[in-house]
Amino acid sequence: MIPVAAAATSRRTLALDVKGVWRYFQRLDGTPPFTALENIDLDVESGKFVAIIGGSGCGKSTLLRIMAGLVPPSRGVVLHEGKPVRGPHFSRGFVFQADAVFPWLTVRRNIEFGLQCRGIPAGKRRATAETWARTVGLADFIDAYPKELSGGMRKRVDLARVYANDPDVLLMDEPFGALDAQTKERMQVELLELWDRSRKTVLFVTHDVDEAVFLADEIVVMASRPGRIAERITVPLARPRDERSRVSEGFEQTRRRLRGLLEQLAPPAPPTSSPSHP
Amino acid sequence: MIDASASRVRDGDPASRVPAAVNEPAIAMPDPRSARRLQWVAKVGLGFLTIAIIVGAYWIYTLQPQANQTLTPPPPKVLAALWTAIANGSLFVNIGWSLFRVVIGFVIGVVLAVLMGCTAGWFRYAGYVLNPIIESIRPIPALAYIPLVIVWVGIDEPARILIIVLAAFKPTVVNTRQGMKEVPNIYVEAAESLGASRMATFWRVAFPNAIPYIMAGMRTGLATGFLALVAAELIASSNGLGFLISNAGQNLQIDVVLMGIVVIGVVATLLDAVAVRAQAYLTRWSEVRQT
Repeated sequence: MIPVAAAATSRRTLALDVKGVWRYFQRLDGTPPFTALENIDLDVESGKFVAIIGGSGCGKSTLLRIMAGLVPPSRGVVLHEGKPVRGPHFSRGFVFQADAVFPWLTVRRNIEFGLQCRGIPAGKRRATAETWARTVGLADFIDAYPKELSGGMRKRVDLARVYANDPDVLLMDEPFGALDAQTKERMQVELLELWDRSRKTVLFVTHDVDEAVFLADEIVVMASRPGRIAERITVPLARPRDERSRVSEGFEQTRRRLRGLLEQLAPPAPPTSSPSHP
Repeated sequence: MIDASASRVRDGDPASRVPAAVNEPAIAMPDPRSARRLQWVAKVGLGFLTIAIIVGAYWIYTLQPQANQTLTPPPPKVLAALWTAIANGSLFVNIGWSLFRVVIGFVIGVVLAVLMGCTAGWFRYAGYVLNPIIESIRPIPALAYIPLVIVWVGIDEPARILIIVLAAFKPTVVNTRQGMKEVPNIYVEAAESLGASRMATFWRVAFPNAIPYIMAGMRTGLATGFLALVAAELIASSNGLGFLISNAGQNLQIDVVLMGIVVIGVVATLLDAVAVRAQAYLTRWSEVRQT
């Protein structure tokens, strides 16, 4: 494609644009504030699946929460389709690591929650809830309460609930982090199947290298203390992906590269565990 | 099979609700229903046994030569008093009056408590305004308000009902406020990300989250309300279970006093049983086991 045309399209299709975002946290003991994020610039093209990876405490969750509008930046701005983010909005669906499904509502009412808040008429709500329950394989459990569901099923309810709202952007904060390894891998495949239908913009925070490589088009690697973007790499894996993608050449390469990067960025280990250094 | 699973999820007993088991071939498992029935028999049986032992010990005492038949009437005399009260209908009139006062006072107290507790627990500045009221009522037993109520409100029906209102209000408002404060942040953030306004979060998230707390408070409120009722009916009342006891006491009809106490116990237990049912139904979604 001609570079000029490419530049013009990419400007038009920027879904999220993080500009010079800093975030400080006040310490309780009165010492100078802790810098969680230092001057973050990140643009995300519409329809891309972007993973954000980094060690614990690198500020990846904080960055995602700022993009959602759940936390205000100390400095800088996040633009969503060109408009500054000033608080949470249904057009930016958020999936949490912990179980956020409302236990007092049935699966159906959970999926309908966002639609109800937005004043969608009951008939349409019902149809949408049934469609999404079927899509995530919970049609038989539509009138069950969350306590009757397993962790993986609750996560599906959460995904259906966010998808039913038809957001532009999905912000996912280690959504499968609390699931067992097997369920986690199955949920990853299911998420890609969902994503392939509509190709929404996704920002997916994780500390799991394999997960990032398997899911994402691009991976943003973050360094800690202060939290900043260290590297941005493209995943050379074709779509649609399935279980076979996990054993491909490109997967292994990207994975090795990512591991190397994260190792370099890891905070210096105590002397006993790094005998190779002179 | 799929339909069966759906309906079972809705109204089956908890042990058969495990969805994974639905498609599995039948295996020999103890029927949870028969186990529960056995437990129920044990619960009721042992309960009656305890009461029988206490009544029996009392009965043996009343048979001693030195026991005073008026001050410590033997159980048959108490039963006779109960029969008389049933036969002339006075018992039902008294129960009716007591229930009327409890229900009216409880409903008023609980409605006020839920409204105030929800507002104080969710809206910060409303809390600053309302908390002093809640905190100043909290440490004082409802009975301590009786002299004040007599002087300010009088000795008629409103006075007696007001005492029950206060008694039911107190635990309910404290619990409701607590429940509204303890809504997990993740639910609030999830709701806001799904498009809920602040009011919608209040009504659709914080309030349902507080229901288990509210129900526990209401149950306590019902118990203390009934307790306060007996005291309230000591205020120049001419009917009700409290009146029945105090009146009989003044006439030294100890058999009637004992009968009244037993009846109050039975009525209170039945009221609590209704409350337990309501609580179980309204918190059926909760993973926390309700007592």
